[in-house]
This record gives sequence, C-alpha cells and structure tokens, in this order.
Amino acid sequence: MAISLSNFLLPISLFLSAVGAATVTYDFDVSWVHANPDGLQTRPVMGINGKWPIPPIVATKGDRIIVNVKNSLGNESTSLHFHGLYQNGTTHMDGPVMVTQCPIPVGSSFTYNFTVDQPGTYWYHSHNKGQYPDGLRGPLIIHDPDSPHKDLYDEEIVLTFSDWYHGLMSDLLAGFVSIANPSGAEPVPESSLVNETRDLPISIEPGKTYLFRMINMGAFAAQYVWFEGHTMRIVEVDGIYTEPTDAEMIYMTAAQRYSVLITAKNSTDANFAFVGSMDQDLFDVVPDGLNPNVTGWLVYDSTKDNPAPKEIEAFEPFDDFDLVPQDKEELYEHVDQTVELNMKMDNLNDGANYAFFNDVTYVRPKVPTLYTVLSTGSNATNPVIYGSNTNQILLKANEVVEIVLNNDDPGKHPFHLHGHAFQVVSRSEEEAGAYDVSAAADLPSTPMRRDTVLVRPNGNIVLRFKADNPGIWLFHCHIEWHVASGLIATMIESPLDIQRQLAGNIPTDHWDNCRAANVPTEGNAAGNTVDLLDLTGEFKSPGELPVGFEARGIVALVFSCVAAFLGMGVIGWYGMAPVKAKTG
Amino acid sequence: MPNVFAVPVFFICFRECLETSIIVSVLLAFLKQTLGPEHDVAIRKKLTRQVYLGILSGLLICLLICAGIIASFYTAGKNAFEAAEHIWEGVFGILASLIITVMGAALLRVSKLQDKWRLKITKVLEKRDDGGVAGEKLGWSVKCKRWAEKYAMFILPFVTVLREGIEAVLFIAGVGLGLPATSFPLAVICGLAAGALVGYLIYKGGNHASLQLFLVVSTCFLYLVAAGLFSKGVWNLEQDAYVRLAGEGAVEAGTGPGSYDIRNSVWHVNCCSPDSTTASGWGIFNSLFGWQNSATYGSVISYNVYWLVVILGFLVLGFKEREGRWPLLKGKSGDDRAGGDDGRSNSEESESGMAHGVMGKEDGERQGGAKVREVRGM
Repeated sequence: MAISLSNFLLPISLFLSAVGAATVTYDFDVSWVHANPDGLQTRPVMGINGKWPIPPIVATKGDRIIVNVKNSLGNESTSLHFHGLYQNGTTHMDGPVMVTQCPIPVGSSFTYNFTVDQPGTYWYHSHNKGQYPDGLRGPLIIHDPDSPHKDLYDEEIVLTFSDWYHGLMSDLLAGFVSIANPSGAEPVPESSLVNETRDLPISIEPGKTYLFRMINMGAFAAQYVWFEGHTMRIVEVDGIYTEPTDAEMIYMTAAQRYSVLITAKNSTDANFAFVGSMDQDLFDVVPDGLNPNVTGWLVYDSTKDNPAPKEIEAFEPFDDFDLVPQDKEELYEHVDQTVELNMKMDNLNDGANYAFFNDVTYVRPKVPTLYTVLSTGSNATNPVIYGSNTNQILLKANEVVEIVLNNDDPGKHPFHLHGHAFQVVSRSEEEAGAYDVSAAADLPSTPMRRDTVLVRPNGNIVLRFKADNPGIWLFHCHIEWHVASGLIATMIESPLDIQRQLAGNIPTDHWDNCRAANVPTEGNAAGNTVDLLDLTGEFKSPGELPVGFEARGIVALVFSCVAAFLGMGVIGWYGMAPVKAKTG
Repeated sequence: MPNVFAVPVFFICFRECLETSIIVSVLLAFLKQTLGPEHDVAIRKKLTRQVYLGILSGLLICLLICAGIIASFYTAGKNAFEAAEHIWEGVFGILASLIITVMGAALLRVSKLQDKWRLKITKVLEKRDDGGVAGEKLGWSVKCKRWAEKYAMFILPFVTVLREGIEAVLFIAGVGLGLPATSFPLAVICGLAAGALVGYLIYKGGNHASLQLFLVVSTCFLYLVAAGLFSKGVWNLEQDAYVRLAGEGAVEAGTGPGSYDIRNSVWHVNCCSPDSTTASGWGIFNSLFGWQNSATYGSVISYNVYWLVVILGFLVLGFKEREGRWPLLKGKSGDDRAGGDDGRSNSEESESGMAHGVMGKEDGERQGGAKVREVRGM
C-alpha cells in the first residue's frame, strides 16, 4: 500500500526538468463509494473516479495543475482546497466555499487551474460542509529538482495519517452543533488510519535513506509519530525546508506535514514497527475499546515477523518551534499591523456551543467574500461590507502582519492560514494566558515557518507574515468540528490588487456554479448591491444567551410573587376566620 | 446554611410533632377531666403511664424504621437513586408538595382536630363501659377487642405517634433526597421541639389568638415550601429530559451556559444556584420560596398554578364553613362565589371565634366541619 512515488515519478520528473514547466491535468469525478479501511465497518466514502483512497496529486515545481472536478455525489455540494499552496494571483482557485467560490452543486463541474512555484508536501481536500473526513482528502506532492536535500535520500514514501469516523460528517455535524451538545464535545474517532488503511507494511532496503513525507489528513486528532529503532531527521515542515534536525518522536496536528529522512539499518535481521498515536487529550471522553494507535512496519525481510509496537512510557515529542528554516529567512522585525484574536468557546441562545474570535463566531456570507471584493469597487477597502459574522481583517499590500492569538480555551488547536506560510515568532506553554509583549522572551532570529501551527491550552501564539499575496485567505482552526462551530477569520489582503488581478478574469464556470447553486455573486455580505453598508438580511449567528433577567423573566417572577402573597393572604383569611361551632 | 438546616425538613417535623402532641394533649386533658380528683388516683396514673408508654414505643419503632430506610438508602439505593436523580427528586418533590398541601389545611383547624379526637376517645371509652360488665366466655376476637379497649390509652398514642412518625420519615426521605445529610439533624430537632412546644401551649390552653396567628404564619411558610417543592419537582423532571438529551455536557456546565435547556428557559442567572455549595444563601431561598436560578416555563407555570389551586381551595373551604354548603351547589341566591366573602372583616370575629376552639368545648358533632376534616384522610 505504500505509495512509492519515485518509482513512477522519477522518470517523469527527469523528463519535466528537461523541458521545463509542464501542465499536469487531473479529471476528478467525485462520487460516493463504499470502503472499510479499518476493518471495523463498511461505510460510504467520497471517492474519485469510483475509487477510494483517492489519488495523490503530484507535480513538479513550476508546473501548471489543472483539476477538472465533477460533482457526482448526488446529495452534497463540494469543492477542493489545495492546502498550503499560496495561489499567488489565483485566490479564486483556493477552494473554500463562500469565500473564494460558490459550492459546486450536484451534477456541476468546476476547473481548478493554477501554477505551483513551491515545492513540498501538501494535501488537497474538500473545503465545504466539513466533508473531507468522509474521505475526500489526498496528498499533494510538489517535487523540487533543486531541493537542498535531494542528495540526502534515495527514495521517497508518502505516509498519510488520519483519524477515522464510522458516521457521516453531515450527521455528526448536525449532532455536534446542537442543543444536545452544550459543551461542544467533539465526536471521538472510531479508529485511525495510515495511508487510508491499518497495519501497513513498507518494504525497506538495507542501507538506503528514505524521505518520508508525512501528512496528517485527519479531521480532529493530532498524532504522535515514531519509528522504533530509527531516528527521524526533519527536513521540511508544511512545504518549508528546514535545517535537518533529529527527532525521536514528532507531534503532527491535523493538517500539518513533516518530511523526515530515515536511514535504513544495514541488516535485515528484524522488522520495525512505526506508530501513529492519536492525542487523546483532545477527546472529551475516551470510549471503551478505542485503539488510539495505528501501526505500520519497516519491513526489511518479509519472511520475518512484524513485531507488535512496544509500549512507551511517555509522549515526548519534538518541539517544532525549535526548527530553523533552511533559507534562514529572518524575523520580520517591524510589524505594520497587529491583529489580536482572542478565541473562546461559548453557547449561544440556540443552546449549541460555538467558537469565537473576539466574540464573533464565523457565519458564511450570502455572497462569497471574493465576489464582494470584485463587485464593490473602491468600497472593497471598507471592512463593514464583509458582514458582521465573517471576522474580516483587511491587510494592506506588503505590510508585515502580526497575528496574536490568545487561546482562552482548555483545548489544543491547530491554526492554519491559507495563502501564506507564517513565521512562528512566539508560542507559550500551556496556561500562559494572553500574550504579553512586555514580558515576552526574545524572538528567534530565524523563526520556523509553516502554514499550520499548534496553540496550547489556554496559551498563545504570535505569527508574522508579509502581506505580499493579494487574495482572500481564511485563518482557521483545522479541527473540522471547530470550522463548523465558527472558529474562522477572513483575511482580505490588498482588495484593490485583487480587483486589478481578477476583475473580468474569473472563469465562466465559476459563475455557472453560482448560478446553479443559486448563490448571488455581487454586493456586500448580505447580497445588497445598492447600499453596500446595508447588511439587512445577511446570515448571522444565533443571539447571545440572555444575561440574567429579560422581560419574560421579570414578568414571571412578579407573577410568582403576587401569586404567593395572594395565596398567603387567602390562607390568612381562612386561618384567622372563626370556626363556626354549628352550622345554621 | 442549607448544609446544616433543611427548612422543609424542619416544617415537616414541626407539623407531624404538633399533630402528635395535640392528640396526646387531648388524651391527657381527657384523662384529667374524666378521671378527676374524685376518681381513683391509681387508675389515672396507670392510664397516664399508658399514654406515655404508647408515645415512647411509637417513637422507638419510628426510629427503627427511619434507621432502616437510611441504611438501605445508603447501601443499596444510592446508586440507583443517583442514576435517575432528577426523576426521584421530581416525583418525591411533587408528592411531598401535594401531601403537605392537604395536611396544611388541617393545621389551621387544630381545634377541630381536638374535637374529633375527643369524640373518638369518648367512643372508645364508652364501648368499654358497655362490654366491660358481662364478662363470660369470650371468643378470641372479642378478647382482642377487649384487650384493645383496656389498653386504649396505650394504643391511641402509640398508633398516632407511629403513623405521624412514619409519615414524617417518608416525607423527609422524599424532600431530603437532594439535600446533604448534614442538613438533617438540626432541622429535625428544631422541628420536633417547636412542634412539642406548640402542642404544650395548646394543652395549657394559653393565648389562642396568638396561637392561631402563629399557626397561620407557619402554615403560610409550609405552603411556600410546598409551592417551591412542586415547582422544583416539575423543574427536576424537565431537567432530567434535558440531561438525557445533552448528556455529560449539561452536567459539566455547572450553572453556566449549557447547564439548562435554553428553549424552555424563562430566566437563568449564572450564579445563585440553590444546589451550589458556595453561594449557600440561595439554598434557603430555594427551600422557603422555591427560588431557582434557572426557571423554566414548566417551573414558573406550575408554581403559579399551585398557588391558584391553593387559593381556590381555601376560598371554597372558607365558603363552605361560612355558608354551610359548597359553592355552586344549590345556590340560594345571587352570590355564587366564595370570593365574594373576602370583604368581610375577620379580625373582630376572630377573638370570639377562638373561644369556640378552646379546649374542653364539648359539642363535637358538627356537620359542617366534618367534611373539612376528611381532607386529613383520617
């Protein structure tokens, strides 16, 4: 099952590097198929061209990728997002529904067409209705003929890790954002997968060095990953080359990627287990019988036993904050705009639990945000038009942006920014509270960069990036449950530049999908084209829970008091009345 | 405070003890009157001893039953109870509320109670006089009967104490399900002491006007407690449905968001919970007035409906006592509602009225009062 890309890609990439940039085309017909990857339960999964697991997208730096998507699901709209790609100049190909495009309705087609100038390990997945955990997720590998590490390994192997649910996301989400789940307890996965299966043997030749491209494609669970008897040497995280750094165990949140070098032993005496272990701290209740681990083996000799993994005493993963990018990009010292995001979880007056940035939970606008930019002319720089529930943040061209995220929640959250890799300039320990500039330690001179980063429980992170990529970029928690409960902010980066790039250049199939899906494409977040400041009719979150007494509470209390006093009055009247000795 | 003094428990003990002491006092007064100085002192002493013996043995058995219930609750029942805590509390709360309501009315007619018991005792003693003379061959049942008659002064207080005591134990068990064990002893002792004190005052025939006032006030509190229990009982049942829906999350939420069903909420403040162990003053508020930091339509409506029924009930009782007939039955003329009476001034009549209730009043047969008394279900 191991996808040994080099076997079939090496010739292609050699060919490509000879002729320069090529176009890689994929025709994806998305439909429901059945699969039983964990051997526990057969369930419907979203397959491509009638198959599941879905194929990896593989290209070489500089290539044009064209993905023709046809939605044959029959009951759900869809979309594809190419996680980690900057989409420079092609923000309309980024994929999140109601942000940069309309949903692809049942029976419709949509073409993603963009070039990739960034090598590395990425993945692609649906960015609609939280549906990628139903199976619509796969690796996206961009090869690099100029990789600084290319001489360090002989072969590369893609390993995807993920949690796995037996229920459909549509059903699970309906129960998650619901009065029946006031604490916002996330559904706990039934099992976990590696390369969409379990107990995965990987043939290893003695003495060779392998590049393992590891991707956490899960919906929720972070994974501890370790290889028994072998040390990992991290060379890339989220598409950013790093100085090679040794690690015995890594912690990979949902949506993070790590490329690690593993040098095989010189003998074939034994096979070695490797383990992905779901971080059970994330789970509200760990159900009886849940196996948090998924196992594979480095098989040196297929005639020998594959040993069961050994128990470990404690999880002591490598801290990715210590990584140094290979290009040594220096810290952005000067910050032009600081965006403070205070996140929390709370209940609204429908009884369900929601997630908030600065007390606002994300609710999708009526018009995809990109189309609001394109249809509002100079008003596009006015944040008001993007609605009251989109957590919009306007970024000016080429300014250095700092995101200070304070996690006022006792959970771990992997935050992901579309369109950029950011410098992780500070990350607190657990329970550190809000970020305090004056008390902050020295920032690293060459901070680690990536596109998905963990913030610890009740801790904080500080991220910096340069707004050099006009587009609409979501910043959100990559736990799919929290996407559903609104833990999303919308970065609107250089809207006037977006207009210059894309006005009149949106392919017609994008508009066709909006028409088919009956989604308006002009005006503010409420679809109002006349008065852009008038947001009447926009989608809004449920109201806040009443604090204390409302009118009805006061009326009820007054009524109850009056009833009680009246009642006691009558008791007094009866009780003090003389008892007649005899009746007339 | 609710951790050391359970108000409903106090009222229940007070009420049951008062009733017992009234009956006992009637007995003692009766003995004093019928077996006055002219009678045999030895017989009187013997009978008086029987009364006290009856009280003590009744009390003893009560305590045994009480201990048994507590023991079984804390050994076997605790888990079963906790699994469906809200249902138990809800059902027991509503039941206790209904029973207190029915009992409460009788408390206001203590004098009638006295009359009734006097009648009862007289009957028992009269029977003894009838059968006591001809003592020949007797059947087993007749022997039993005669034994019962001979020891009537023992059996009456014994049965009374036993009955009231078991009643109290059951009520306390019902009301106190959700209360901490530490809140019982003081409340029980105070309740018993207050009940005995009032009973003694009645026996001594003290100031009946102020006694009546005292009874009215304490009954008002009793009904406040009952209204709160009723409302809380309904709330408990609703909360049970919500907890079943929302699971652990609802429990984890404490008093905060998610701890209650917003769809039925009339008001909710994230504090001041009567169940809270820190903000304890609200527990008294809850015991006395049925305060809830989270009110639902069910709990508010049931509270008001409870009072409405109580008000109507007392108006009907009052009407019946004054007019000698039930409202709406064979109405003679225009005034068809008991409510029409409330303009009448009671304060003047109450002084003289009390005199009717004084001990020693002999005329026990009153058709009017009989129906009212049956409310007690004796």
